[in-house]
Amino acid sequence: MEFRPVCLLTAAVVAVLGAGPAAAQFKPTKPIEFVTHTGPGGGGDVFARGIAAAMEKEGLMPVRMQVVNKTGGGGLTAMAYLAEKQGETHTIAVFTGIWFTNPIMRKEAKFTMKDLTPVVRLVLEPAMIAVKNDAPYKSLNEFIDAAKKSPGQLKQSAGSLGSRDWVVRQLLMTNTGANWAYISFPGGGERIAALLGGHVNMMVIEPQEAGEHIRAGNLRVIATVADKRLSAFPDVPTIQEAGFNIPNVPQVRGIVAPPGIPPEAVAYWEDLFARFIKTASWQKYLADNMFQDGYMRSAELSKFGDQFSETTRDILKAGGVKVAR
Amino acid sequence: MQGFAVALTPYNLLWCFIGVFLGTVVGILPGLGPAATIAMLLPLTFQMNPTSAVIMLAGIYYGSKYGGSTTSILLNVPGESASVVTCFDGYQMARQGRAGAALGISAIASFIAGTFGVVGLMLIAPPLAKFALSFSSPEYFALMCLGLAMVVLLAGESMIKALLAMLVGLWIAGMGTDLFTSTSRFTFGHSELLDGVDFVVVAIGVFALGEVLGNMEIREGAQMLPVPKGLRNLLPTWQDLKDCRFAFLNGSVIGFLIGVLPGAGSTIASFISYGIEKAVSRRPEKFGTGVPEGVAAPEGANNAETGGAMVPLLTLGIPGSGTTAILLAAFILWGLRPGPLMIQDNPTLFWGLVASMYVGNVMLLVLNLPLIPLFAQILRLPAYMLYPFIFGISIVGVYSVSGSIFDTWMLALFGLLGYAMRRLEYPSAPLILGFVLGDSMERALRQSLMMSQGDPTILVARPMSATMLFLAVLILLAPLFRKANAWRVKAIVEGS
Repeated sequence: MEFRPVCLLTAAVVAVLGAGPAAAQFKPTKPIEFVTHTGPGGGGDVFARGIAAAMEKEGLMPVRMQVVNKTGGGGLTAMAYLAEKQGETHTIAVFTGIWFTNPIMRKEAKFTMKDLTPVVRLVLEPAMIAVKNDAPYKSLNEFIDAAKKSPGQLKQSAGSLGSRDWVVRQLLMTNTGANWAYISFPGGGERIAALLGGHVNMMVIEPQEAGEHIRAGNLRVIATVADKRLSAFPDVPTIQEAGFNIPNVPQVRGIVAPPGIPPEAVAYWEDLFARFIKTASWQKYLADNMFQDGYMRSAELSKFGDQFSETTRDILKAGGVKVAR
Repeated sequence: MQGFAVALTPYNLLWCFIGVFLGTVVGILPGLGPAATIAMLLPLTFQMNPTSAVIMLAGIYYGSKYGGSTTSILLNVPGESASVVTCFDGYQMARQGRAGAALGISAIASFIAGTFGVVGLMLIAPPLAKFALSFSSPEYFALMCLGLAMVVLLAGESMIKALLAMLVGLWIAGMGTDLFTSTSRFTFGHSELLDGVDFVVVAIGVFALGEVLGNMEIREGAQMLPVPKGLRNLLPTWQDLKDCRFAFLNGSVIGFLIGVLPGAGSTIASFISYGIEKAVSRRPEKFGTGVPEGVAAPEGANNAETGGAMVPLLTLGIPGSGTTAILLAAFILWGLRPGPLMIQDNPTLFWGLVASMYVGNVMLLVLNLPLIPLFAQILRLPAYMLYPFIFGISIVGVYSVSGSIFDTWMLALFGLLGYAMRRLEYPSAPLILGFVLGDSMERALRQSLMMSQGDPTILVARPMSATMLFLAVLILLAPLFRKANAWRVKAIVEGS
C-alpha cells in the first residue's frame, strides 16, 4: 500500500505537465466570430472593428476575426446568443457596462454576465463634465451651488436612465443635496446640440466629443470623471479633486466568451490581448479616443464585475429605479 | 477652386467613383444600408490618405440615396427608410408600364437636389449650423406635428380609416424601452422587442409583402402593364419634367433644411416634401395613382438631405443619423476632428470633399440613367418568378440588418397586417407616417415639458415652434373647411 501516494503524485505530475503544453496548444483553427451588441457604426461595433483591424495589421492571430452584429435589447440579444453557445471556443464578444446594468433592470433578461465567461477587461472610458463657455459656472462647485439655489431649474442633457451620466448625476445629487433636471436624448449628437444651443446647462461628455468645441471656445469642461486627470486636459480636476467624495463610475469595455469554455482557451485569449494592448496600433487607438488602458485578466474581471453590478444595483435602487434581480 | 484641384486628380476621381458605385448598389439592396457598408469598409481605408477615404465614404452615403428608389419603384420594396414615400407614386407608375419614367424622374430629381444640397453646404454652412442649434425639443415637437398633420393629405377615401391606421403606427412606435424611465412597453416579455420594432421590418412587411400577398389572390397574375420597348419609351417625357418643376425645387429646399437639423432625418424630409407637393398641386386627387411629381419631391428631398446633414457633421461634429455617426467615427480614426475649426484647419479636405460631391452627383446621374432600361426588365418576369423573388429579397434584406430570426417572423406578421389592411381598404401610408414620427414626437414633447418643468406653454411661447404648430392646425382643418364649403355651395345650389 506504500505505492499509492506515489501513484497519485505521479498522476498529479503528469497532469501538471500535461496541462502545460495543452494550455499552449489551444489555437483558433477557423475564423473567430466577434460579436457586438450594437449595429454597424455603433460604439461597440466601431470598437470591435478597430480591434479586428489592428489584430490583422499586427499579425497576432493565425485566423481572421469576423465582426457579427447581434443587436436588440440593449445587449440582451447578444448575451443570449453567447450564452447559448456553451463551450464554443471560436466565439467572443465585446461587452460594455450595459451588459452588467441591463440584466439588473430588465425582467426580460434571460442571462446575466454571471452566465458568461469573463475574458479580459480592455479599456476604461473617462468622461468630462462640460458647460457652455458663456455659462456663469467656472467650476463644478459653482455649478452645484447654482443648482442648490434653484432646485430643479438647471438641466443636464444626457442618455437614458441607468447610463453612466445618470449615475454621475445621481451620486453628485445624493452627495451634495443639490437637484437638477435630467433630460434624455437618444444620440450623443443631439445632447451636444442641446448644450451648444443653450437649451440645457450641463452634460457629461466624452473627452473626444468635447475636444473640438473646447478648442473653438464653445464649451468649457469643469471636471473629469476618471481616476486621474487626462493628459489632454491637465488643468481640469477630477470630481474627487474638486472636493466631491463619490466613487468613480468607469465606462468599461472588454471581452467575454460563451460559458463552459476550457481554461486553456481563456488563457489563450488573456495572453493574446496582453500582447495586443502593447502594440503601436492599440496605443494609438487609445490615444486618439482618449481612453485609458484598463487591462485585467479573467479572474480579476470576474471580481470587478460582481462589485460593479453590486454598486450599480445600489445606485439604481437609491435613484428609485425598479430592479428585476 | 482649390477643392476641384483635389477632387479631380485621377486617384480621387477613382475613389469617388468606387464610392458612388458601391452606394448605388447598397441603396438598391433593401436592408443593407450605407451605415453598415461604411462600417464594414472602414478598416480597409486606414491605408488610404484621409481625403480620398472621406471622398469615397461620403460617396457611399449620398450614392445610396440614388439607389434606394429603385426597388421602391419596381417592387414596392423600400430600399432605405427614406424611400418609403417613393413607393406611393413610383410603384403605381411602374404598374402602368412607366417604370422607366419613374426611375428617370427619380435620378434627375436626385441629381438636382443632391447638387442643390452641396451648393447649400458650400455657401451657407456656418450660419446654417447656428440655425440648427436654435432648434430644440419644442421646435422638433412642432415639426413632428406638422409631419403628422400630413395624414389628412395621405388619407384615401376615408379619414377615419386613415386616422386609425396612423394610431396603429403610433402604437408600434411606442413599443420597446422608454428612454426616460427605462421601462419596457409592449414587449410581451420578448427581449428582442426592447429596442422597438425596426423600421425596415414594418416598411417592407406592410408594403412589399402586403402587396405580393394581395396580388397573389388574383388568379390571372399581376396587373402589371408590360414594359414598353425602346429607350425613348423608358425615359421621362418633357411633360413629366414640366410637371416636376416645382417638385425639384420643393424637394431640394425642404430636404436640405430638414437635413441640417440633427434630430429630424431624411424620412421626415421626404414625407413633408411629398405633403407640400400634394398640398400645392393642381391635381392633388391624382397623388398616389402614379404622378411623376410624387416621385420627384421625396426623392429630391432625401438626396438634398445628405448635403444638409453634412453641415452639422462638418461644422459642429454633430451627426444627425446612423450614417453620419459612422462617418464621424471614421474622421476621428484618421485623426481628423470635424468641428467648428475644421474648415480653417483642413481646407484641402473640406473643399476637396465638397467638390467631390459635385463630381459624384454627375457620376451618379451618368451611372444611373443607362441602368434604367436594365432594371426595368425585371418587370418582364412572370408573376410566378417575380413574387418569390420579392419575398426572397425582403427576407434577406431584413435579416441582413439585425441577423435575427425573430425579425423575419416580425416581417411575416407585418406582411399579414399589410395584406389585411389592403383587403379592408385601410391606407398603409398613414401607418408608416405614425410609426416614423411617433417616437421622435413623444420624445420631443416629454423633453420640452421636462425643460419647462411641466409648463406646456413652452410649446407656443417660442416663435418657430408656434408657427409650425399653427401650420399643422391649418393643414388638419383644411378638409373641414373644404367640406363646409361644399355644403355651402350645395345649400346655395339647392336654395336657388
